[in-house]
Amino acid sequence: MSQPLAPAATFTRIAEVWIPEGDHLVHGGGAYDGAEGLSDLSGQMSFAKGEGLPGKAWAEARPVVLKDFDGSYFKRTEAAKEAGLTCAVAVPVFAGKTLKAVLVILCGDDADHHGAIEVWEDEGSKLVLTDGYYGTAKDFEAISQDISFAYGQGLPGGVWAASTPILMRDLSRIGAFIRAEAAGEIGLKNGLGVPVPVPGDKSFVLTLLSSENTPIARRFEIWDARPEMVGAEKKALRMDGFCAVEGPLWPKENPPVDAVSASAWQGPVGQVLGSGLPEVHQGATGLPKGYTLMVALPVYKDTELTHVVAWYL
Amino acid sequence: MQKLVVIGAGMASGRVLEHLFDTAPEAFDVTLFNAEPRGNYNRIMLSPVLSGEKTFEEIVTHDDAWYADNKVTTRFGEKVTKIDRDRKVVVGENGEVAYDKLIIGTGSAPFIIPMPGHDLPGVVAYRDLEDTNAMIDASAKPGGKAVVIGGGLLGLEAAAGLRLRGMDVTVLHIMGHLMERQLDEAAGYLLKQDLEKRGINVMLKAQTKCIEGDGKVERVLLEDGTVLEADIVCMAVGIRPAATLGQDAGLEMGRAIKVDAQMRTSDPDILAVGECVEFDGNLFGLVAPLYDQAKVLAKTLLGEDDAFKMRELSTKLKVTGCDLFSAGDFAEGDAREDIVFRDPKRGVYKRLVIEDDKLVGAVMYGDTADSNWFFGLIKDGSDISEMRDTIIFGPAFQGGGAAAADPLAAVAALPADAEICGCNGVCKGTIVTAIEGAATTLDDVKAITKASASCGTCTGLVEQVLAVTLGDSFEAKAEKPICKCTDLTHEDVRRLIKSQELKSQPAVWQQLAWKTPNGCHVCRPAINYYLLADWPLDYQDDLQSRFVNERNHANIQKDGTYSVMPRMWGGMTDPDELIAIAQAAKKFDAVVKVTGGQRIDLLGIKKEDLPAIWSDLNDAGMVSGHAYTKGLRTVKTCVGSDWCRFGTQDSTGLGIKLEKRLWGSWTPHKVKLGVSGCPRNCAEATCKDVGVICVDSGYQIGVAGAAGMDVKETERLIDVATEEEAIEWTVAFVQLYRENAKYLDRAYKWVAKVGLDWVKETLDDPATRAALIERFDISQSVYQHDPWAEHVENRKAQYAPLADLTTEAAE
Repeated sequence: MSQPLAPAATFTRIAEVWIPEGDHLVHGGGAYDGAEGLSDLSGQMSFAKGEGLPGKAWAEARPVVLKDFDGSYFKRTEAAKEAGLTCAVAVPVFAGKTLKAVLVILCGDDADHHGAIEVWEDEGSKLVLTDGYYGTAKDFEAISQDISFAYGQGLPGGVWAASTPILMRDLSRIGAFIRAEAAGEIGLKNGLGVPVPVPGDKSFVLTLLSSENTPIARRFEIWDARPEMVGAEKKALRMDGFCAVEGPLWPKENPPVDAVSASAWQGPVGQVLGSGLPEVHQGATGLPKGYTLMVALPVYKDTELTHVVAWYL
Repeated sequence: MQKLVVIGAGMASGRVLEHLFDTAPEAFDVTLFNAEPRGNYNRIMLSPVLSGEKTFEEIVTHDDAWYADNKVTTRFGEKVTKIDRDRKVVVGENGEVAYDKLIIGTGSAPFIIPMPGHDLPGVVAYRDLEDTNAMIDASAKPGGKAVVIGGGLLGLEAAAGLRLRGMDVTVLHIMGHLMERQLDEAAGYLLKQDLEKRGINVMLKAQTKCIEGDGKVERVLLEDGTVLEADIVCMAVGIRPAATLGQDAGLEMGRAIKVDAQMRTSDPDILAVGECVEFDGNLFGLVAPLYDQAKVLAKTLLGEDDAFKMRELSTKLKVTGCDLFSAGDFAEGDAREDIVFRDPKRGVYKRLVIEDDKLVGAVMYGDTADSNWFFGLIKDGSDISEMRDTIIFGPAFQGGGAAAADPLAAVAALPADAEICGCNGVCKGTIVTAIEGAATTLDDVKAITKASASCGTCTGLVEQVLAVTLGDSFEAKAEKPICKCTDLTHEDVRRLIKSQELKSQPAVWQQLAWKTPNGCHVCRPAINYYLLADWPLDYQDDLQSRFVNERNHANIQKDGTYSVMPRMWGGMTDPDELIAIAQAAKKFDAVVKVTGGQRIDLLGIKKEDLPAIWSDLNDAGMVSGHAYTKGLRTVKTCVGSDWCRFGTQDSTGLGIKLEKRLWGSWTPHKVKLGVSGCPRNCAEATCKDVGVICVDSGYQIGVAGAAGMDVKETERLIDVATEEEAIEWTVAFVQLYRENAKYLDRAYKWVAKVGLDWVKETLDDPATRAALIERFDISQSVYQHDPWAEHVENRKAQYAPLADLTTEAAE
């Protein structure tokens, strides 16, 4: 497969990691897409529990979507607006009751950008949309607000039932999706669903819906790090993924004896396995050919790291 | 260049071409026929395409460019109608092609059950992209309903895919557990649980009767009368080799096209590969041996030596989040030994089957990390005697030294923050601290830390921590577990079956961490009783878990014959019954004995005659006397006030009423009743499990008497004024005994354990009595029926020799 052209724009523009240190969250790295003002400012900041967007995700123990910076608790409004950003999503990473980090993703907003970031929350026997950012896809947003998913149903319900990240293709053909047609109209193609465990009884599922023209990423990977899959050694097997350069990234054998493996601290994904923290890796070093940015999010079950999802640009 | 024609662009023939082009790209001029209008794709990945987790493009193995690069003439979408061996040509729908060598790789066809409605639009198999697309299209209907017939690999993958696409899915499986060819019952239970968690409805032992619909599928009917609405029905019940071309061409056939170890058919210029071949009596369905065949076939074509060999296979279900592994042979056998590990909290089950110091089979669910290692041991036939004690823990625990030799070392090696009690979140460090603070028994640790205080499945682990920490000064609890299959006592198990709502044997084995695959002759009858007593509407009595007398509904005698005893309500009979008994006795050459329980016993009946004698007695209106059960035996009465000068009440009438109310119920041990019409006690009611003495003021109810190995007088439970109250208290007492006693404890033993005061106190509450009676009546709605009639009707075959003795309890 030949090297693809880089898309003119991507749906998500900036990613950053915030790490708890004492009673504050401190900056743990990020990629700022040339937004130097925001980058500089972020490096100097920290957030107490409940303060700013990262602090709010920590305090509320749930993913938080902020769609309007003006007049909000967002602490870096000016710098963000200067960079053309209009929305931010904060995803807390909990290992049991302990907050490991908060991953923040920031997006721009114009008529040419299509994609969606959704937060689904369980309401007993079904998942309902609790928060979401859809850019300019207002019709799709309206439909999404009216639907719910039962256990095992659709991408959110599938993630919820299986407690595992799932990467879906060709969303416009997923019939369950009452919203398939609307998804097709705005070119939504792939969906990544990730369980977001938090303390307490609530279940959250984060879905990233990516379009062909302004994708969230050009390469997605799901790594399975469960001891019941990989044994006592701290490592992970790549069980699914696709790439605009390499094509399918999943094992071809059954059982999957040919699955690609990554050990703790080995390469960018290995950093996540070793540290247990989200990783925003900038620069081509260590990344697959053709990519300069990786965002990786660890998934926990209780206190155990079970999966890593990674997306690349 | 030789002309090579290939029929079928499947995975096996595709792999042949890859080998040929890699090794000798210029050796053959290839023409490839395929009935499907496309080339080779990874068919086993159709399931993730169905679920939306892959696109079809992702699973294409050979695209147009690949065929063009390798100069393959493709004739896709064209069926081959004939092989003319004399002229060495293949006849396609659009013309002939001559060959020097021919490969048949026509694969297999799905088996469709020829039930009424199987040909309605909307009934699909699950074999190719067309089937997959039909299911995807059906899922587009919001709220659509799918029925999948077949709970094997393909059926379950179809079900999971359709569910992920949003359909309401029901899986119908004719067997007692899912994927029975790859999994044992315990793993099948966990798989069912996992699928049900995904919202998939799984119906086992489901017999499909027909499919109905007006012009298209609309519903599926089962033999038991269940009706399931359906917008699509996927029939995934197996495959058959697609070998007609070979047969028509006159090749040597078995169940498929016969090949030798070089993949040659009976015609040396025709080779065959894949699911359409039979080798050494074997057919093929999994991909691994097909790839082996492809390699051998390519070498044969190139004149190189190689031979196909059968090898061990393993299985993986492609349902995201369901982790299972199975390999080798895991059937039970006399020379075989099981090692079982369960972790109920994590939903993990591992079973290894060992024979002659070799691992011959492995089944794993929920934790497949070490599956490749176990698979290697099976394939290599390694001697595992040195690591017998720790093999279940996997390769990380091998390598000699103290840790490998001593399972306790595993507990010793656990870090302080390792969780021991999942229910209460108690880690090893907390338990060790409690022990260091003078906790020396399991109860001490329970009281201080709450470890093992809830579900109790970590009891063994807590005791191991005690043993590791205290050394020789630790003495395990005196209370004995049920058997070697578990560390739990009868009382623990009864409590857990109720509190965890365990409603099947596999649920008990898994959730209570049984150490054997499915119990033993000691625990199975007990668990069977506890389940049917606590969940009469949910649990189905398991005949295989009963003692031989209960299975055969007759008492086996020392000479191997059986005794047959019809019920005589309250010890009353009439001339017609006596005539019928006499005729039966003559007809079947029985010895006749009047019993102490006021009944007539017919002795010396041959096993094969049992259904016939029961049928005769049924015809005379008599039912089984249950003289063989852990259940109600007799209600002995005296003649009472109707006839006796001293009788104070109608003792016979009360006895008949009690017997008619209680018969058929299963109890922890046998239950005998007596009703005497006055304190002279002619019915000997004061040595029964429940004995009623009628007096002028009413009824004195005594319980917990015995007249066997132990002799004991009943103790007074209550005095009541009316017959209705006497019945009410008796039924409530029996149900209390049913719900609380240990299996094989007679009522007097149970009362001695719990105390008569507790029994009185409990039954003293009218609401409690009413609830007990209600539960008893619910149970009777299921179990109060004549087993003779049922066996005559449905189970005559049982009276032929039994098959699987390993799963049956011995007397």
